[in-house]
Parts: sequence; structure tokens; C-alpha cells
Amino acid sequence: MTTTEDALEPAPATDGSRMPGEADMWFFVFFESLLFTSYFCVYLYFRTQNEAAFLQAQSHLLPWLGVLDTIVLVTSSWVMARCVQLARAGRHHTAKRFALLTAGLGVVFLALKMVEWVRLIDAGETFTSNDFMQYYFFLTGIHAVHLLIAFVVLGILVYHPVRSATALAGDHRDVRDVLAHDRSLLGGHIRHALHREVT
Amino acid sequence: MKLSAKTRLFAAWFVLVAITLSYLWIDHAANARDMLLASTAVTMAAIGFALVKVRIILREFMDVRHAPPLLRRFTDLLVAIMAVALLGTYIVGKAVAS
Repeated sequence: MTTTEDALEPAPATDGSRMPGEADMWFFVFFESLLFTSYFCVYLYFRTQNEAAFLQAQSHLLPWLGVLDTIVLVTSSWVMARCVQLARAGRHHTAKRFALLTAGLGVVFLALKMVEWVRLIDAGETFTSNDFMQYYFFLTGIHAVHLLIAFVVLGILVYHPVRSATALAGDHRDVRDVLAHDRSLLGGHIRHALHREVT
Repeated sequence: MKLSAKTRLFAAWFVLVAITLSYLWIDHAANARDMLLASTAVTMAAIGFALVKVRIILREFMDVRHAPPLLRRFTDLLVAIMAVALLGTYIVGKAVAS
């Protein structure tokens, strides 16, 4: 089915004709990805050295809560990608709503994460309880900081619509959507490393 | 059949959610077998699933699919580095532990 939006959308670029974002943003993504990969390597190594203790500590997490949080994260990434598609199609008003929805899902993600943190702390599980919890609070905490940065750039997108629309509709996807997806990449890593990797 | 960009994006989201939900099934299966002992196969599979998700996000959500070949190769190299680093660390760690 061809919608109005599809009709408005520019013809799909042939492979290699469209650079998504600027080179410096991609270097940032690579740097961040490698940084988090190295964190997880350290985590994985120490986990293999004492798997029973890590698994025991990990059993205090709720798998369904982690999965729900990840689905919210993936959905926010999808909504942001839709925002970019809409901006490219010239539907800036709808694109702005999708940007706000992305931020809303970010708030939901953060709220769910806080529920998890509070639940653990209430149960006596803190940063210093054991090695697993130290990795857990460090990695999810640093991920939350990235989320806060993404709120700032989404704010720029919403409150400077003309500049942002120009950036999104043109060849540059700019810092905003790259950061939004970067959160998703990091979130995916953290979930796999901490929640389900070695169940 | 050529999918519209909107449909393709939805399909990518659906696959990502399906992979995410599969972890509940893995967790259930592991618990059913009373696996407090870590399963190497489960761990390696989970890392593999994570890498698939990273590539889907890069290709579909971050539009690398339409990017110049250099960026496409660079992102594939990134995923390969992640795979070698994570799986390598796990295998070396297990060998040292035993």
C-alpha cells in the first residue's frame, strides 16, 4: 500500500549515495561501541573466573523487567528512525511529534530502570555488595548518563525545528538520531551482558 | 516484493523485539533445567543474538544500508571486532578458569 507519506518520500537512495550522519559522529559511535565492548570483555572475563557467584547475584534481577525495558528502548529507536523518515518526506510537524514520543519512551525507560535500582537497593543489593552488582550499577548508570545526553539533543531537535528539519531532511542525520540509536546499541549490550548472557 | 521504507523499518523493529523476547524463553529453559551452572552454548548464543541486533540497528535504524561502501564495511568491521573480543574473552576466560 502506498501512503501519502511514501509518495512524498524521496526515492530510495541507491546504495552508497547517502551518508547517514557526519563522519565525526560515526567516530563517536565507534569509540563508544569499542569502549563498552571493552567494559563487557572485562565483565565477561571476571565472570568466567567465578561463575557461580555471578549467577547467584544475577538471580536477584527480574528477567521480564529487563526485557520490557529493552523493548521500550528498541521501540524508542524505531520511533526516532520514523521521525527521520517523516522529516525527509517533508512532514516536519509529525516528525516533531515522533521526536517527542522518542523522548517520552526514554522517560519510560529511565523510570523502569529506577524501579529496578530501587527494588535492588531495598533488597540490600548495592554497588559494593558483590562484583556482579558493581558491574551492574556501573554499566546501567553510565547508560543512564547517555540517556540524559540524548534528552538534551532531542530537546535541540524539538525547540530548533527549522535547523533540525534542515539537517534531518538533507543528507545529514546529525547528532540527534545517531545518539538516540547509540543508546539502543549500548542498551542492547548491557542487557545481554548483565541479564541473560550466562543464564 | 519491495517493501516501503516504513514497512521495512517496522519489520526491523519486530525482529529486534522477537530476539529480545527470546531471552525470556532461554531463561525459562535454563531455569527449568536448574542451570545455576553457566552454559557455554547459551552464553555464546546470547552474544551471537546481541551481535545480530547490533547489526540490524546499524543497517536499518541508522541507515547504514544506504551508506557509502566505506561506512558499510567499517560498521561490519566493528561488529566483527565486537564478536572476536567478546567471544574470545569468554573462551580465554573459561580456559584460564579450568
